[in-house]
Amino acid sequence: MAFIKLNDLEIEVEDGTNIVEAARQHGIEVPHYCYHPGLSRPANCRMCLIDLYLRSSEMPERQLATGCTTTVRSAPPERKLDGKYDVIVRTDSPRVIKAREDILEFLLVHHPLDCAVCDQAGECDLQDFSYRHGHDKSRYLEVKNVPPKKDLGPDILLYSTRCIVCTRCIRFCDEVSGSGELGLINRGSHDEIDIPRSHEGVPIQLLDNKLAGNVVDICPVGALISKDFLFKSRPWFMKKQNSICSGCSVGCNITVEYKEDGLYRIKPRFHEDINQHWMCDDGRLGYHYVNSDDRLQLPLKRVDGELATTQWSDALSLITERISEVEAEEIVVIGSAQGTNEDNYVLQQFAHDVLKTTQLGLFGQQPGEEHKFPQFTIEADKNPNTAGARTVLGSANGNTVLEGDALWEKVADAKVVYLISGVPERSLESTEKEALEKVNFLIVQDILHSEVAELADVVLPGTTFAEKDGTFTNSTGWVQRIRKTIDPPGEAQADWEITQQLAKQLGGEIDYHFAGEIAIAISENVQGYDDATHQNIGDAGVKLD
Amino acid sequence: MVQERRILYEHLDVPNINTFDVFRQHEGYTRFEKTIAEYQPEDIAKMVMDSGLKGRGGAGFSTGLKWSFVPRDIEPRYLCCNADESEPGTFSNRYVLEKNPHLLIEGILICCYAMGIETTYVYIRGEFTLGKKMLDAAIKEAYEQGYLGENVRDTGLNINIYTHPGAGAYICGEETGLIESLEGKRGQPRNKPPFPAVEGVFMKPTVVQNVETLCNLPFIVGNGVDWYTKMGPTYADMRNDPPTPDPNTGTKLYCISGDVNEPGVYELDLGLTCSELIEVAGGLRGEEVKAVIPGGSSAPILTHYELDTRLDFTSLTLAKSMLGSGGIIVMNETRNIVDCLLNIMKFYAHESCGQCTPCRWGTPWVRDIVQRIADGEGRQTTITRPKFGITESGRWGDTGETEEVYEDLDLLENVANNIANVDTMTWNTICVFGIAVSWPAVSYLRKFRPEFEAAIREGKLVTLPVAEATVPPEENYAYQQRIIPKEFADL
Repeated sequence: MAFIKLNDLEIEVEDGTNIVEAARQHGIEVPHYCYHPGLSRPANCRMCLIDLYLRSSEMPERQLATGCTTTVRSAPPERKLDGKYDVIVRTDSPRVIKAREDILEFLLVHHPLDCAVCDQAGECDLQDFSYRHGHDKSRYLEVKNVPPKKDLGPDILLYSTRCIVCTRCIRFCDEVSGSGELGLINRGSHDEIDIPRSHEGVPIQLLDNKLAGNVVDICPVGALISKDFLFKSRPWFMKKQNSICSGCSVGCNITVEYKEDGLYRIKPRFHEDINQHWMCDDGRLGYHYVNSDDRLQLPLKRVDGELATTQWSDALSLITERISEVEAEEIVVIGSAQGTNEDNYVLQQFAHDVLKTTQLGLFGQQPGEEHKFPQFTIEADKNPNTAGARTVLGSANGNTVLEGDALWEKVADAKVVYLISGVPERSLESTEKEALEKVNFLIVQDILHSEVAELADVVLPGTTFAEKDGTFTNSTGWVQRIRKTIDPPGEAQADWEITQQLAKQLGGEIDYHFAGEIAIAISENVQGYDDATHQNIGDAGVKLD
Repeated sequence: MVQERRILYEHLDVPNINTFDVFRQHEGYTRFEKTIAEYQPEDIAKMVMDSGLKGRGGAGFSTGLKWSFVPRDIEPRYLCCNADESEPGTFSNRYVLEKNPHLLIEGILICCYAMGIETTYVYIRGEFTLGKKMLDAAIKEAYEQGYLGENVRDTGLNINIYTHPGAGAYICGEETGLIESLEGKRGQPRNKPPFPAVEGVFMKPTVVQNVETLCNLPFIVGNGVDWYTKMGPTYADMRNDPPTPDPNTGTKLYCISGDVNEPGVYELDLGLTCSELIEVAGGLRGEEVKAVIPGGSSAPILTHYELDTRLDFTSLTLAKSMLGSGGIIVMNETRNIVDCLLNIMKFYAHESCGQCTPCRWGTPWVRDIVQRIADGEGRQTTITRPKFGITESGRWGDTGETEEVYEDLDLLENVANNIANVDTMTWNTICVFGIAVSWPAVSYLRKFRPEFEAAIREGKLVTLPVAEATVPPEENYAYQQRIIPKEFADL
């Protein structure tokens, strides 16, 4: 640990911490643009200048130092200042304040000041720091540079006029995605970010790697813009909720930004051991199904071969009727790897205690491709909770959970199948389809008019990750929380609530009031989940042993 | 009348000196042979330290001191020869490369021996096609003669030299910009520290030396330290107790251009005055000297009041200027300083690498302001600001009075100082390009303010007579060191 004096604070920081981070930990803002904790530090924006006292506590070093590249270390006793400080830093001295003003003035000379139409307004570092550290008027009378607006890739637009050439995006593509699509063209004040182009200006390589969306997040100004979010909303009108991405088994920490009428944007949230600062575009842009008009809003039942909407009471009594007609061993219950641990726990309780069946299966999205990047991996398993669902479903009876061909063989022989899907966009393979067609009475709980719902006799409208509380267990054993943001469409309900109602109809005694209660039950009954209560998990998650 | 003292350039005009055989007849490689026969590597490093040799590239940093920073336990170490010579007004390395490339090779060999370096990169300015051709041919000959390659002259050293052409960027003459460019990246200077001596080419310890510096080595070794230190003045640094010697030893290749009768490269002892130098170069062309740029276009300008300034590293630093690369540009009474500044600012705005904020957007701004003034479009409005001058204490500071200045001139001075402050010598930029911009901008403006004011007042460029155009030393901070007692005395 190093003992430093930061302005008038005496603080202890870990060796190797830079001044920007050390100050941030103690509530002092050192404005910066090019520095990003997940990237290398070129110190080119010159915004984080600080006064550094290395040799004397009276006189600072002649040159201002950059806070991002200045790391603190404990000094040998003879080099300590005033006998105790390893270094003294001032972020509020007159010349530091002047230097910030000067740099901000330079940053704004060619800036179009088009905040009124800029997507970033409201969450723009240039805006914020100008407001807090800058001049109130410009002395620039000359002509501003107007570099062109560029289409960099499927989801990325570059408004070059707003760019401050901090090169975060370039470093991201070099260091994290390793794909290196971005670079600087021209020189000096004509610097522009661009993708490789032929002499005619035709793109040779688009910014289309699966991590490309991150450059929009790390852009401190409104230069890199997501086409998906462009002109949709002002940031301050959206509410935010911490959650977990449901796109694959990595379990990236995310922030869901939403309004009453649906989700607007998903951004990654820092988690040191899972996704650091990043997430992939599949997860980032894959939320649209939540807002889809195609969402199931009411239960459906098959009438004359066609699915028609019905009342919940009607659907539930129909199911109760058909289930009571068959033997326990003729029923197969299939949980979802898209569902939360809570959903699956209630489901296994339902199967075990009410239906008395031991035939439990697991359904989920088909595996996709694994993508490995220098500092990021997208898993092949496209379900957020395969590990959790498997453990929780099999917890009560110690049964193995049926998956793949073994499951579909059982399904083909079954009379009643209760299948929870919740998978956005999944096509059925022929074996799966054939097996499901053979079932006498197929209950499907889903979110969209999917292929599997089309085969059902009764369809119950479930919810997506954005509409319920619960936990996901990722592939590396982290149990993390998802949180409800918006209300489910129509009369759709959380999956565990539907299961619980079914159980009650069938005379079962499952009675939970909220997801956290189920999590407590899981922590008591499922091996390894001892600490995984919602209270413990919080925003950081809990790692299973 | 001062005479040239040709050492580096002694055999420059010998026909075919670029070939191994002719170079050999003129003591070629004997100094290197003496090095390996008589000295240990540490001896050479000590000799260089004792000789007081200062880097000739621009900063004037002690070569021996630089070598002492190189960690000896990290392999490999590199030597990087800076032959990018991009400072406007400088053209001395070019003649070495084109006419006497073997001298450079010999210097490189001595440096490699002293530092235990096996790989040398010579980064040659892209425009020096002939220079590169000559050097490549000389390197080939040296390989054939066994002075390069494996086991050079049975010393057990394997020394290789690779030449690398630049692509025409001024900033690639900055040592870390050069290294980045050499590594195949954009020529953008690195943050320092770490300095190249610790982390340079391919993140290994690297000695970066100018061509002229390396060419001095054979003569230091060949003729001895005593011989070398007799040339040029050695000052006493009075800031230390007891005073430490501050050597400005050796000769310098002064590149004299502008309004002199015989412009060219002159090899002279360090420490001659400006007037003497103009005499050497055939005298002034024109009536009177208006200004002298002493060290390439980035150096602060000297006025006719300062012609007695000695052109060495220390004296010019005290005069708030610098010797830089020794590119001396003389201007006579016909030259308009606003126009000169515009020319220089156009160059710097074009050459800014664009890496860091103040320089990327400050240099074109400074250029645009000067352009506006030169076009006669300077704003007539004035502002009142505190007047700085010599205060009662005898030091520079706020006099308590105010002065009226044209708004554009205040803006010009302010913007330039925001890139790099010439008064406090602090820069907000990554490299010293920032100060290379604000130095000329601020010094031209402060020393020749009447001409700037005339351009704004008249709405066109007006060339004033020298006496009217120049601000006298008593009135300006730009001359401060000449008023306040010197910290250096003749030893």
